Amino acid sequence: MSITFEKVSHIYSDGTPYRFVALSDVDLDIIEGQMTAIVGQTGSGKSTLVQHLNGLLLPASGKINVLDHVIEAGSHPKGLKSLRGKVGLVFQFPEYQLFEETVLKDIAFGPKNFGFTEKEAIEKARHAMKLVSLGKEFEEKSPLELSGGQKRRVAIAGILAMDPQVLVLDEPTAGLDPQGTIQMMELFRELNQKHHKTVLIVTHDMEQVFNYCDRVIVMAKGSVHTHTTCEEFFRDSSLCNSLAILPPALIRMKDALKEKGFTIKDEMEDIHELSKEIAREVKHG
Amino acid sequence: MGNFTLGRYIPLDSPIHRMDPRAKIMAMLFVLIAIFFPAGWIGYGIIFVAVSIVILLGKLSFTYILKSMKPMMFMMFFLLIMNCLVLKTGEPLFTIYSFTVYSDAVFQTLYIVVRLLLMIMITTCLTATTKPLDMTLGIEDLLKPFTKIGVPAHEIAMLISIALRFIPDLIDETTRIIKAQESRGVDLKEGKMKERIMAILSLIVPLFVSAFQRAEDLANAMEARGYAPGEERTRYKVLKMEMRDWILLFCAFLLLVGMIVLSRFK
Repeated sequence: MSITFEKVSHIYSDGTPYRFVALSDVDLDIIEGQMTAIVGQTGSGKSTLVQHLNGLLLPASGKINVLDHVIEAGSHPKGLKSLRGKVGLVFQFPEYQLFEETVLKDIAFGPKNFGFTEKEAIEKARHAMKLVSLGKEFEEKSPLELSGGQKRRVAIAGILAMDPQVLVLDEPTAGLDPQGTIQMMELFRELNQKHHKTVLIVTHDMEQVFNYCDRVIVMAKGSVHTHTTCEEFFRDSSLCNSLAILPPALIRMKDALKEKGFTIKDEMEDIHELSKEIAREVKHG
Repeated sequence: MGNFTLGRYIPLDSPIHRMDPRAKIMAMLFVLIAIFFPAGWIGYGIIFVAVSIVILLGKLSFTYILKSMKPMMFMMFFLLIMNCLVLKTGEPLFTIYSFTVYSDAVFQTLYIVVRLLLMIMITTCLTATTKPLDMTLGIEDLLKPFTKIGVPAHEIAMLISIALRFIPDLIDETTRIIKAQESRGVDLKEGKMKERIMAILSLIVPLFVSAFQRAEDLANAMEARGYAPGEERTRYKVLKMEMRDWILLFCAFLLLVGMIVLSRFK
């Protein structure tokens, strides 16, 4: 089981003056159980790509394989609903999808749609609330009276309650404060490592890619520009520079040091490793 | 949703696109009134040719205009059925299961269909070649004379332009919310009554919330930039009638007079 794209294209408003090719001949192999970042400039096809994963958008040509479901252009795909239960898609600014009277009911909405009984759904909702660290006191509140960050957590919990195997997040931290961003990313890491979920994150933040993700997919003009591991991607900042992407601070620091004559290894996990390298250099030098 | 063509502006560069919106609105009104004079098939033929010339000059494709008629198809079919049931005059044409269809029923329907067709063609000509903002400027100017009897011309124009401005936004928002709820397992096409009500509710509530939010944001943004209704405002874009605008108006007026004359002679 894996997620593969074969020559997938998608065209918006085909046959009108507004025709726009959003994806062209995308070949992709997303590795399960890993945390993959999807980066690229606005309009490069990131959002279009992820909406193919649970069959919200269907390809104009090509074939997609997601968890044993095959979506092929031209044929009407079957079992889309069960696919949507397995691939949880969290949209950008998901707080706009809240509609129930209470937080608990809203989170339980997803599981109920996928055939769980009221009781099971509530149980799953409670569990999801715990995951996103929303306390019991929120259960009976109206989702509309919460703060922006809390609403975001309710919306993400609404998807987590469905217990999907694959979690797809379109800019999940946009508009959150730094504290909320870190908590959110830690949650995704935990879901990936402890609960073995495949996580895909659309993001603009290279620090997130560097600190949390295993692999990175760079989209440009509707096709996959680069698909590689994060270590590989950040080893040489010339790739980032050619894509007009600002590398993470750690990489910039390392580059600056090297320019000044330090000999530092290229693979760098975190700030501690860099400081050790610097200390070693200073002692020797 | 994205394939909704009726009343949409098509960004092209053509003599029709460059015309003064006031002239275009008035010309459209003239021709629309002309359609209501029973000038017979010759009259409709003349109007059709005139409108076709405008479509060609405006670089619009006929298939596009045909497409925008799609929502009307059902109505036309319904009309035909109703007319066949009600109208019993003229020659009997054919009989199905002891039910006779008369020639007048078919002709009456055709008459209405042709009128509708022409009306859609004409209004599409206007909406497809005029930017919504220019349209409201035109409406404001045309309503100016009525401000003396208490018609708030500027406010009406502002209202229309804001409403128009929000249409694409709300369509986008709707598709977005549909997708988000579909990702949560909402099935809009199937399901029991209770589930379907829930599904519709899950769309309407967020849509209302965001529409009100947008309205409030816009009102605040306008106020922050000093907008006050009723106050005298200058305009960035000044409309100017040129030769071609007068020619269009004259032709439309001629068409109207021609139709009146034709209907008298019938």
